[in-house]
Amino acid sequence: MKLFTHLLTGAGLALAVSLSAGAGSAEDIKIGYVTDLSGPLAGSYTPTWEGFELYMKAANDAGGFNGNKVSISLDDDGLRADRAVAAAKKQFEQEGVVGIFGLSLSSTQGPVLTETRKAGVPVATSFSAILDALPPAQPYTYSTGVVFEVAGEAIGHLAQRIVPNGKVVGMTFDSVGGRAAMRHNMEIARKLGYSWDEVIFPIRTSDFTPFAQTAAGMKPDIVVGHYGAGQNVGMIPALRAAGYMGPYIIASYGASEVTAEEAATLAGSPDNIYMVSRYVPGTADAPGLAALKAAAEKYGVSDPNSMHVTGWVLGMLAGAALEKCGADCTRDKLDAALASAEIDTQGLTGGPITMTAGDHYGPTYWGLYKWDGEQLVQEGDWLRRDAIEIPLQQ
Amino acid sequence: MEILVSIAVLGMTYALVAAGIVLVYKASRVVNFAHGEIAIVCGYLFYSAGRLWPAEGFFPAFATTLLFSLACGVVIYLVLMRRLLGEPTFVAAMVTIALAIIFKAAIVVVWRSSNLGIPMGRQILLLYPDGGALRLIDLVTLATGALCFIGLGVFFRYARLGRQFRGAAENALLASQRQVDINLILSLAWAAAVFAAAIAGVLFGSRSMLSPQSTILGLSGLTAAMVGGLDSLRGALLGGFLVAGAIYLTARLIDPALSEAVPFIILLAVMAWKPWGLFGTREELDRV
Repeated sequence: MKLFTHLLTGAGLALAVSLSAGAGSAEDIKIGYVTDLSGPLAGSYTPTWEGFELYMKAANDAGGFNGNKVSISLDDDGLRADRAVAAAKKQFEQEGVVGIFGLSLSSTQGPVLTETRKAGVPVATSFSAILDALPPAQPYTYSTGVVFEVAGEAIGHLAQRIVPNGKVVGMTFDSVGGRAAMRHNMEIARKLGYSWDEVIFPIRTSDFTPFAQTAAGMKPDIVVGHYGAGQNVGMIPALRAAGYMGPYIIASYGASEVTAEEAATLAGSPDNIYMVSRYVPGTADAPGLAALKAAAEKYGVSDPNSMHVTGWVLGMLAGAALEKCGADCTRDKLDAALASAEIDTQGLTGGPITMTAGDHYGPTYWGLYKWDGEQLVQEGDWLRRDAIEIPLQQ
Repeated sequence: MEILVSIAVLGMTYALVAAGIVLVYKASRVVNFAHGEIAIVCGYLFYSAGRLWPAEGFFPAFATTLLFSLACGVVIYLVLMRRLLGEPTFVAAMVTIALAIIFKAAIVVVWRSSNLGIPMGRQILLLYPDGGALRLIDLVTLATGALCFIGLGVFFRYARLGRQFRGAAENALLASQRQVDINLILSLAWAAAVFAAAIAGVLFGSRSMLSPQSTILGLSGLTAAMVGGLDSLRGALLGGFLVAGAIYLTARLIDPALSEAVPFIILLAVMAWKPWGLFGTREELDRV
């Protein structure tokens, strides 16, 4: 029994990740970061965190903000809402952070945001986002990420650049966000004259063959995958093996050029793999990538990709707000700074990130990329989205 | 044709996982809840070894995985399970749950929860007239699974060690009084079980993908083992095909979203009818 106790303790220690970026000092500005570093989507959230951390390290190297350096309290929620809430409360109740950044899947965000709003702690989320940041924005809630409804509509429009008409097959796993993205994609597709079919599979699926066969049997002209990176890596080769060789769009919910490369390799062909993304890939010709790559090289992060860019841009937002917040930054001052932030991302997104008092998300820009066997290459201009086009489902 | 081959291939993968669970249960009455995690870690290891020696092809990766799996099985038994002999079986089962957590943590720490597919055997051999394709890995999975089951059958029927294994599984005390080395038998059971898991993990990763989610393979294998009977290799084979068939046919003909639930409905139905499984031994249940 003693052995068993040791084992459980060891396992618990192995899973418990609670790190701090940089040693704290009295002058530091403390911020929190909560994300999934050990759960099912850790593969996507970890590079996002790395991008954010790189930005803050680079900023500290350059002297910090208003003479203060930033220290980050990092906690892993394992994609569980209870752990996310506990971590956030620990950060704002015990550690006195002025704001929290990151957060994981949309399902863990709601409970955290309820607590942070009560406590008056500003939160800005990374690649996952929920409607709370959109107009009329909820207090203390910001995002530079992907709101599923907005993404679904953007993909609906951008698909027209690949196939002007025909049948779209949407695929997702059984989740609130996935269904929301699919619904808005479907409404836009129908509005543009496409026919629509869909396949919804269980969230814990790891063998995609039957679902790929079902989708291929629907005889699509284009397939859209509304799920995370891992599902794309499994689904694209399964679709090719099921006989579907047509265009496939990866919705960038945590996917990057690494996803496209892995899927293309396993599928045995680079053809007809597209991605719709808010952020440029690591191989893009964007001025803002130079600073990210320099920081990545300095701190030993290899091959930064679009997920690192996602985290870096969140860092840019946090940095701009901390600078504006002043030397004696408080939660309310940080909130006010976030609510009026306007950031030139130096080409890392299709346009600036602009927050206003009633809109904590701002206009977004969506790029259509094609995998050319070596890298993601943008096709056409960025698509700007100012508001949700299809009425929300009550 | 496409559906039949897909069911057969996935069924064989589940059957291999189930076979490992059955081997350990037969020998020690322990249900190994870490089997899926072990299978997927072995798949990741195969992938990494393949990347380490890309020029040498498949064999160094296979040898690394083979050695790791056999050593891992023996170490699990000698370091952990041997000390729990005579303790209530739930204690050993709880240790396997702790092992599952540790192996899953290894996926996070070593492979950073990456979503990877093993680039082996994915080439298309034949296109079906009604759509879809037969890939090399499909044939490899069926052939490997068949070889494993035939090998285990021959071993238990004709090899001296195999007969001793059966004797120890039926009555460990009596077998030890007849000079059967119980530690050797149990080490062998764990080594063979982990090796079966490794094969299943590599085949699964070559056909689909490896991710922290893929550890659900263990749950599918456990369901197959329970449907077939926890102490029956023949049952593991049948259970694997039943579970795979239920998933595929539900996904293709009824509703993909229901496919996860159907194997468990079958499990409940079998448990209500024959609680010891389709080919399980009735007295085994009484011992649990």
